[in-house]
Amino acid sequence: MAIEIPKRTYKGAIRTITLGAGDKAVTVGGETSLPFYLFEGERPNPPRIAMEIWDMEPEDWPEHALEPFKDVVSDPAAWAKKCVEDYGAEMICIQMVSTDPNDKDVPADQAAETVLKVLDAINGVPLIVWGTASHEKDTEVLKLICEKTHGKNLAIGPVEEGDHKQIGGSIIAYQHTCISSSPIDINLAKQMNILLGNLGVSDDKIIIDPTTGGLGYGIEYSYSVMERLMLAALTQEDERLQFPMINNMAKEVWKSKEAKLTPEEDPLMGDPKKRAIVIECITAMLLLLAGSDILVMRHPESIKLTKEIIGDFMAAN
Amino acid sequence: MGYKVRFEPSGREIELASDETILQGAMSVGVHVNASCGGSGTCGKCKVKIVKGKTTVPPMPLLQKWEIEQGYRLACMTKPLSDIVVEIPIESQIDRTVLRRERAGFAKVLSPQDINQLVQGWTIDPTVFKRYLELPPPTKEDNMSDLARVYRSLKQTYGFDRISADFRAIKKMSQLLRDADWKVTVTMVLTRKGYKLINIEPGDTSDQNYSIVIDIGTTTIFGQLLNLHECKVFGCPGLDVDGAERYTLAIASDYNPQISYGEDVISRIVYALKPGGLERLQEVVVRSINKIIKELLKMAKVERKYVSHMVIAGNTTMTQLFLGLNPKYLREDPYVPTANFLPPVRAINAGIELGEHVHIYIFPMVASYIGGDIVSGVLGSGIFQREDLTLFMDIGTNGEIVLGNKDWLMSASCSAGPAFEGGGIKFGMRATRGAIEQVRVNPATYEPMLMTIGRAKAKGICGSGLIYTVAELLETGALDQNGKFKHDLPTNRVRKGEDGYEYVLSWADENAVNQDITLTEIDIDNLIRAKGAIYAGCKILLDQADMTFSDLDRVIIAGGFGHYIDLEAAKIIGLLPDIPDEKFMFVGNGSLLGARLLSFSKDLLKEAENIANMMTNIELSNYPRFMDEYVAAMFLPHTDETAFPNVMKILKEEKAA
Repeated sequence: MAIEIPKRTYKGAIRTITLGAGDKAVTVGGETSLPFYLFEGERPNPPRIAMEIWDMEPEDWPEHALEPFKDVVSDPAAWAKKCVEDYGAEMICIQMVSTDPNDKDVPADQAAETVLKVLDAINGVPLIVWGTASHEKDTEVLKLICEKTHGKNLAIGPVEEGDHKQIGGSIIAYQHTCISSSPIDINLAKQMNILLGNLGVSDDKIIIDPTTGGLGYGIEYSYSVMERLMLAALTQEDERLQFPMINNMAKEVWKSKEAKLTPEEDPLMGDPKKRAIVIECITAMLLLLAGSDILVMRHPESIKLTKEIIGDFMAAN
Repeated sequence: MGYKVRFEPSGREIELASDETILQGAMSVGVHVNASCGGSGTCGKCKVKIVKGKTTVPPMPLLQKWEIEQGYRLACMTKPLSDIVVEIPIESQIDRTVLRRERAGFAKVLSPQDINQLVQGWTIDPTVFKRYLELPPPTKEDNMSDLARVYRSLKQTYGFDRISADFRAIKKMSQLLRDADWKVTVTMVLTRKGYKLINIEPGDTSDQNYSIVIDIGTTTIFGQLLNLHECKVFGCPGLDVDGAERYTLAIASDYNPQISYGEDVISRIVYALKPGGLERLQEVVVRSINKIIKELLKMAKVERKYVSHMVIAGNTTMTQLFLGLNPKYLREDPYVPTANFLPPVRAINAGIELGEHVHIYIFPMVASYIGGDIVSGVLGSGIFQREDLTLFMDIGTNGEIVLGNKDWLMSASCSAGPAFEGGGIKFGMRATRGAIEQVRVNPATYEPMLMTIGRAKAKGICGSGLIYTVAELLETGALDQNGKFKHDLPTNRVRKGEDGYEYVLSWADENAVNQDITLTEIDIDNLIRAKGAIYAGCKILLDQADMTFSDLDRVIIAGGFGHYIDLEAAKIIGLLPDIPDEKFMFVGNGSLLGARLLSFSKDLLKEAENIANMMTNIELSNYPRFMDEYVAAMFLPHTDETAFPNVMKILKEEKAA
């Protein structure tokens, strides 16, 4: 006798958001069921992966993370180009690490220059620009980047309560998409989205960054909040939460001790490269299951594997 | 008897009582008139023109002679003498289309008549009463002892039986009886064991029987002096008393001096555990109560010796600190108080400067964070007698909430902080003379319209003014829903001050403190936290009973933040739930409410104990969801906008206008 699996119908749906402009633009969102519950609803747009690059040569990356990009890490534009041409990146996420006021403190105009070069090099592939979460500096840097890239529909973040008016204003004016960031709390996430709405950011220009904890470093909090965000959006029809989610996960994965340990430091932990890639993949998988729409990832092999996972999840039903 | 006042050019009308000013009228119908001195007649900004009808002509040195002749008046000083038409001058006018809505739901403190109706079935019959006796002097034939003679007379004259006497009264009895020529007044108290004679005075002083009720709050101590003799007393002339003035001879309040040892109960307890700490805290609170008693007696011109009763209703921690009971275990899991029912304490033993016969009755308590003040509020508001599902909210430093009816009562306590009593607010103050209590903000110019308590020059802002201001700033769009100011407004009133962005309510040259009175973003944060805690507490309590705000038949609000609460403003900031106005009732200080009744009627003693016994307390810290609800409530009005449909409609309309 055939068993009929009970189905739930959801009243709400996640909005679809398009990043970038032109024929390489990427659309995410549109889910009408919990993540990959394709027997209950639709997922017109599969989750996407943005490849991470830095705006400066990284100093603390483990050897195996640097290895695929060794030849290009000193030139962000070349790095981005390699991601697109060699690894088939559908999106690029540039981390504006150099602008950190507590570190190199590169001025805004120089940072904007870098972003323009990267944009040139990736030839229409959507770009995510991620600041340092320093409200004052991000205001300067991200505002200028918005202005210089008018109409390119970049995803700009993190936009937080403390700087949403300044950065949000430029995002609206220069037609970009806003990454609405809040510290692992469903209510704060919602408050951010209300504030952005009050400011005038339109509903098809918001992506939620729930804040990502690394595997073994608090990912369960992110998982739980993302799950609640999904449930509120779908079952309670909470329209201020019906936005796709992005997880800026690579930096969390790769800064962990476990991703960096060499065999000399701990022989029991096995092959360091394989280990780090597995950590990145497991992190990605967990976030996908929690409802992520965009993952920011670093290693080409992790990305390849994660794409397969996504393919399997999308085909499984 | 009122006069009709029409405001031009809006055409809005209101009926004003002859002792109300034009400014008060304008405030209630939402006609904006610039006013920054709080209604004291000193800023001259509320100039209006009377185009028809007669008004008083107060002294207005700020107006030119020709102006007065042409009918110009200061709205804050002028009262109508007939139906009038008032023209609002151009500087106060705003674009006609953006006239503010009329304020609905203006909850004043209940009148004494209404308060009487809250609790039913009690008669005026004080626990402590006096009786005048004329005794036959002893003779050879009638040679019973002096005490037995008094007993006999009490039985013969008033029918009292089974009387006992306090030794102190006996001690002075023989000489006093003879000195007074056998005409004396005795003070009696009804105890569990029967009547007890506690004092004896020469002559007939039976009409001089007073009681003092004290509410020891974490932030504020309130005291009232009551006349127990027939309960027929009038308020002190010229004194700004609350709605219970008919029964209150005098009311006085002061900040709890323990504040300097910690703003909340926890830090007080911590301080009490230090060597000498408990004694110190007890000493300062007792000193402060003595000061209040002195003030009360002076105000009412009553002699100290005629006070024969005292009732204290305080939160559990404050009560224990007052009595010198070690509060250590109040804050240690599982949070138990020393005793929920304390026997009456002799006032002199507690250091209270009253006659040696006076006992202090201490309101029974429920738990570590639900004290006698709440039991008193529940008693005074009559929840325990009604079918209706009632939510009782005492909005103070600790927001205590009680849900239930005559069959069941549940309570919870949430730490709100002292914001509603003016604590932790830069220019915060108690609701006394000079406190800004009503505010309107012009949505085009952001100029305020202020009214202060006693219509004096502004000194600061009290709880109700704070609620009002934040609601107005939110409505006019000067404030975003997270309580942060917009920076690009066309006004110099929103500016960057030393504590971040702030709104100037009153300029230095218009007020009594000679510096700009401002409301800062930090103040607003404190208010948001306070209201968030209270709202979240109510939500959890209702959840526990499997109910929602819409199930409530009645919401009784108590608190010392002002003389009234503007329901709409309180809903706009999300302190009160968005349910119909008619369900709300404001009783002022709930703790004194019950304490007064208890002084007047011995029947209610038993009720107070029943209430304490039937109340089930919920410890919010045991509910992880509380934190979630709290964060959700820390937004204006709330993160869940669907819970505030009417407020959101108002905000959207204001935004569109």
